[in-house]
Amino acid sequence: MLTPHTEADAAYVIRTAATDGKTLGLCGGNTRAGFGNVTETAETVSSRALSGIVDYDPAEMVVTARSGTPLAEIEAALAANRQMLAFEPMDHRGIMGTGGEPTIGGVFAANVSGPRRFVSGAARDSLLGIRFINGKGEVIRAGGRVMKNVTGLDLVKLLAGSHGTLGFLTEVTFRVLPVPQTAETIVISGLDDAGAAKAMAAALALPVEVSGAAHLPQTVRHRFLSGSLPDGEATVLRLEGLAASVSVRSEKLAAVMQAFGPIARLDADESRTLWQEIRDVHPYADNSQKPLWRVSVAPSAGHQLVAALRLEAGVDAFYDWQGGLIWMRMEADPEAELLRRFIRALGGGHATLVRASATVRTQCPAFEPQPDAVAQLSARVKQKLDPGGIFSPGKMG
Amino acid sequence: MQTNFTAAQLADPQVAESEKILRRCVHCGFCTATCPTYVTLGNELDSPRGRIYLIKDMLENGRPADEQVVTHIDRCLSCLACVTTCPSGVDYMHLVDHARIHIEKTYRRPLADRLIRGLLAKTLPYPGRMRAALTLARFGRPLSPFLKRIQALRPLAAMLDLAPSSPARSSMAGLGIPQASGERRGRVAILSGCAQPVLDPGINDAALRLLARFGVEVVTPEGEVCCGAIVHHMGKEDQALDFARRNVDVWIRELETGGLDAIIITASGCGTTIKDYGHMLRLDPAYRDKAAKVSSLAKDITEYLAGLDLPRLDAKGVTVAYHSACSMQHGQKIVAAPKNLLKTAGFTVRDPAEGHLCCGSAGTYNILQPEISGQLKARKVKNIEATKADVIATGNIGCMTQIATGTAMPILHTVELLDWAYGGPRPQKYKQKAAS
Amino acid sequence: MSEAIQFLPPRDSVMSRRAAIVTDLAELLPPECLVHEARELVPFETDAFVSYRRLPLAVALPKTTAQVAAVLKYCHRYGVPVVPRGAGTSLSGGAIPQEDAVVLCLSKMARILELDYANRTATVQAGVTNLSISEAVGTDGFFYAPDPSSQLACTIGGNIGMNSGGAHCLKYGVTTNNLLGVKMVLVDGAVIELGGKHLDASGYDLLGLICGSEGQLGIVTEATVRLIAKPEGARPVLFGFEASEAAGACVADIIASGIIPVAIEFMDKPAIEICEAFAHAGYPLDVAALLIVEVEGSEAEMDAMLQSIVEIARRHQVKTVRECQSATEAALIWKGRKSAFGATGRIADYICMDGTVPLSKLSYVLNKTAEIVESFGLRVANVFHAGDGNMHPLILFNANDPADAAKAEAAGNEILKLCVDAGGCLTGEHGVGIEKRDLMRHQYSEVDLHQQMAVRAAFDEGWIMNPSKVFPLDGRA
Repeated sequence: MLTPHTEADAAYVIRTAATDGKTLGLCGGNTRAGFGNVTETAETVSSRALSGIVDYDPAEMVVTARSGTPLAEIEAALAANRQMLAFEPMDHRGIMGTGGEPTIGGVFAANVSGPRRFVSGAARDSLLGIRFINGKGEVIRAGGRVMKNVTGLDLVKLLAGSHGTLGFLTEVTFRVLPVPQTAETIVISGLDDAGAAKAMAAALALPVEVSGAAHLPQTVRHRFLSGSLPDGEATVLRLEGLAASVSVRSEKLAAVMQAFGPIARLDADESRTLWQEIRDVHPYADNSQKPLWRVSVAPSAGHQLVAALRLEAGVDAFYDWQGGLIWMRMEADPEAELLRRFIRALGGGHATLVRASATVRTQCPAFEPQPDAVAQLSARVKQKLDPGGIFSPGKMG
Repeated sequence: MQTNFTAAQLADPQVAESEKILRRCVHCGFCTATCPTYVTLGNELDSPRGRIYLIKDMLENGRPADEQVVTHIDRCLSCLACVTTCPSGVDYMHLVDHARIHIEKTYRRPLADRLIRGLLAKTLPYPGRMRAALTLARFGRPLSPFLKRIQALRPLAAMLDLAPSSPARSSMAGLGIPQASGERRGRVAILSGCAQPVLDPGINDAALRLLARFGVEVVTPEGEVCCGAIVHHMGKEDQALDFARRNVDVWIRELETGGLDAIIITASGCGTTIKDYGHMLRLDPAYRDKAAKVSSLAKDITEYLAGLDLPRLDAKGVTVAYHSACSMQHGQKIVAAPKNLLKTAGFTVRDPAEGHLCCGSAGTYNILQPEISGQLKARKVKNIEATKADVIATGNIGCMTQIATGTAMPILHTVELLDWAYGGPRPQKYKQKAAS
Repeated sequence: MSEAIQFLPPRDSVMSRRAAIVTDLAELLPPECLVHEARELVPFETDAFVSYRRLPLAVALPKTTAQVAAVLKYCHRYGVPVVPRGAGTSLSGGAIPQEDAVVLCLSKMARILELDYANRTATVQAGVTNLSISEAVGTDGFFYAPDPSSQLACTIGGNIGMNSGGAHCLKYGVTTNNLLGVKMVLVDGAVIELGGKHLDASGYDLLGLICGSEGQLGIVTEATVRLIAKPEGARPVLFGFEASEAAGACVADIIASGIIPVAIEFMDKPAIEICEAFAHAGYPLDVAALLIVEVEGSEAEMDAMLQSIVEIARRHQVKTVRECQSATEAALIWKGRKSAFGATGRIADYICMDGTVPLSKLSYVLNKTAEIVESFGLRVANVFHAGDGNMHPLILFNANDPADAAKAEAAGNEILKLCVDAGGCLTGEHGVGIEKRDLMRHQYSEVDLHQQMAVRAAFDEGWIMNPSKVFPLDGRA
């Protein structure tokens, strides 16, 4: 593994590889090793030696950091100023059984977002500017360090979530937000998946700013908060903000939600632990190779999808993002075609195979196959950034 | 916005005025959003900004009007929603007035169009002719479906469809003007109008009763004619100014002999024009000042009543959908007064959605542009009916005629409801509809 | 008319076939959907960046995605440039045509197709105006968050093209953060869908790339956007300061304190006077700078936030504090602010800048802006989104005086360079368009620009789509 210490070194490495027609895998801490389609590359380049916060002015709520900076270092610096990454990046190590140190560049390259994503945006929504090296070894700057910026094409969005197939991030500039003064979670017990979808939709239609909405069916409930959630399925709704405001909103939310089922409340500490466990997909951090899907559909379609699948396959699942994000563990076969057929039938979305055994991974495309016109367009875009096709060819399809 | 006029062009005072208006426009496009024809047709050419640009191009190049420009100017309702919306204060009203005069002077319309416009200009402003025409129309109505099949004759069909099915009669015919009672609070002239007394004499009857009840002496001076709005909007400037001068003479005479606190108008379409007399006659030294005086005295009936501080009445359990005529809200900027009067009189008032959009009546528009007018009417009726009110109130006879042909809900002039609330008879139309 | 910015020369292959092209387009569109008479093309020659004008070859006003596809396919085949247009409210000249171009205007595609409250989405045709979405869902307790000042008139299609922001994006983000999916037509007429009611992309984030691409990558005909539950209440508060610096420092301190109001708007004295004359909103006229700070939520929450904000403002010697007492008053305060550009038309012609700067540079950039404009002998009014550093200096001039117009443009260029040099960017929400195209090299290196153009070529190899915009004309690949 190559670990260039400067951007110039990295550019040199890539330029040389491009000239030699040598393929490269790009990574940060490699905590998502095994993510995406199986690819063979001649060499791996890691950003881990490109480390350090370049600029952080808390009053501006903007941070610039080298891409290999450990996420933990960023989060510590932010916490010292009572600020945070609004999109709550998850830690993949648990479910993927990997080691290493997550980096900020990796977070953005994989567009990793957590429970707050459905209200506060994804990682890509916080990313303001980047420096990256394209497949020709050129250093490219895109975006900037201000929140509003529509100067030229938004290559920032394009690189976010490109999993190291379009360019090698060397520096990222992103927006941060103040940590809410307090948080509280309301638990509604005993709802089936369909009932939970209704309850969550009702909650999100209220003017109470719910910032987390997940449904934890019976099979996974005991895996959260060391099994201390009330009996029955748990539908959990998070409120955050000023203490005075949270208590008022909590009353309002509870008043409406009690029509759906018995209500319990979690305090700020329990709340923090619970949402971290949801974020990191705690129930499926099981040291197994059972196929694990991350599915994104319209919130109202989530439970229908799971119900339809259950009739034909062994499925365990729980929901985040008001029901629109489904973490789904298959007992044996990934059932990719079945799953993707149902997704199309229910109005569209996408399923990503996050984890599976090596054999399964070689047979099943990890990312949702795209319609021809979109796939061709994506291929042309890739060709424009990486003309020689040296960055992890085939990783994203 | 940049303009290109020569000094010679600017020597014409009308061109000079239009140039000033055009300079204010910053081409922001806000006006497109509230323009009824743009939201219906979705074409910049049928928006205020598009028309401003067409007019600018025509005037700058000193060109006679042509078919394209005329098509799009003709589609303008002159509802003036754009004037309310415009942040830059572009005086679209006087710009389009100028364009219409320019069209009338420089463009020869197709024969059918000329005939229909001539017919309207020679009928509507004259109550006697209007009454005769309506009688004819009742017999002609069965012809309407046949006329509709021929594009050029569609306006005739529209006219027949709009004519009421039975002749209207004043409930106070032969009784004269009621005497003011109690403490005398003012002396006003009331515009008798031309089309309105033929179509719905009950409106002014109600206004006269109501004013008398609150101590206002009302006169109807001899010699008053149509306000000129109908011909003014057709660009027939000479005829419009002739009407204006005659009315100015009549009211100035009344002002000088008996004194007038206001000239009361019960049709907001007429009110907008009379309030503009000062501007229309600004280039006539003999009339300029007198016309300005008349304009300053002109008051919509609700504007005047708002100054009388009418007593608050108990809730009636009657819900009113208030339709603000364009000439009321955009032309005269009277927005709150009619609704406040109705509320004070005990009515529950609801505002239909898209209240800024024209109902499609717009003077003779529903006759000359029946397709667009019909679409606007349907949209307006849908919004009004969604309020689930008992009755519609508005302040303009044109809207009343237009909306009545699209809904079963009773539609009344605001002053008819007020008269009823303050002791007058229950309005005939409300009774009929309520019974049926 | 200004001439400093060049357009691409008309293509001979197109100009020589003008009549044939119009005849062919007439085959593809119903008669009311094609404008080609010389007189009728004139109103399409510009948008809200009225300093530049070019007559188009024809204007297509399609009613369906299929018609858009047919026109694009035709134009692609014959190399006819296409300039997309929504409501023509662009302040950067994004919708200004060129002599060999067909304007593809989506104003007839203005239907709301679906409101889905369970998923909090609205699916609309591209010609739907921004405000009409919020109006359609308002009584059901929702709204669409991005609110450009022209929201009354501007269309969702145009908002996507320019990644429009607005006063309230401090909290809710700009268009790209609220856009879930599009149906769009690629340059060859192929119709694709990106995104939908679900979140995130399955492959590359093409949706993110489309947003803000200024009509260069294709034409969006339908969009699915995110709806948000309307807050219980919202309260704008006016803070008047004796000096702009105090107001600027106050903004930075509010943000630094960890409070994120939904909006922080700044007006200087000329802007206050202009807006007050139009809206009669009760802005204080005896101050040098005004902040409109809006908080939202429950009464308790608003009280708590306002208390902290007032304390901060007091530390900056705030002169007047006025809390808004009613919904009508709040509406007037926003009406005044949102009409600021148009209302400026009452006193002069103007061009509006759109640079964004880091918050800590606000006061510096304001002062420098005043110096620059003064050095050209012109006047400036400032009204902008202070919370996110998005400046809108309005440079006042006389459009009928060519020398004045040239000075205004030159001053504008200097201000935009200043924004970039201060660590910001050329445009926060209006787009590069034609206006800022030749300044792109001030912000980007040649390599950066070439990479952007290469990605552009993945969509439109032949530079058919809005080709005179965004990228400097010289040095194109």
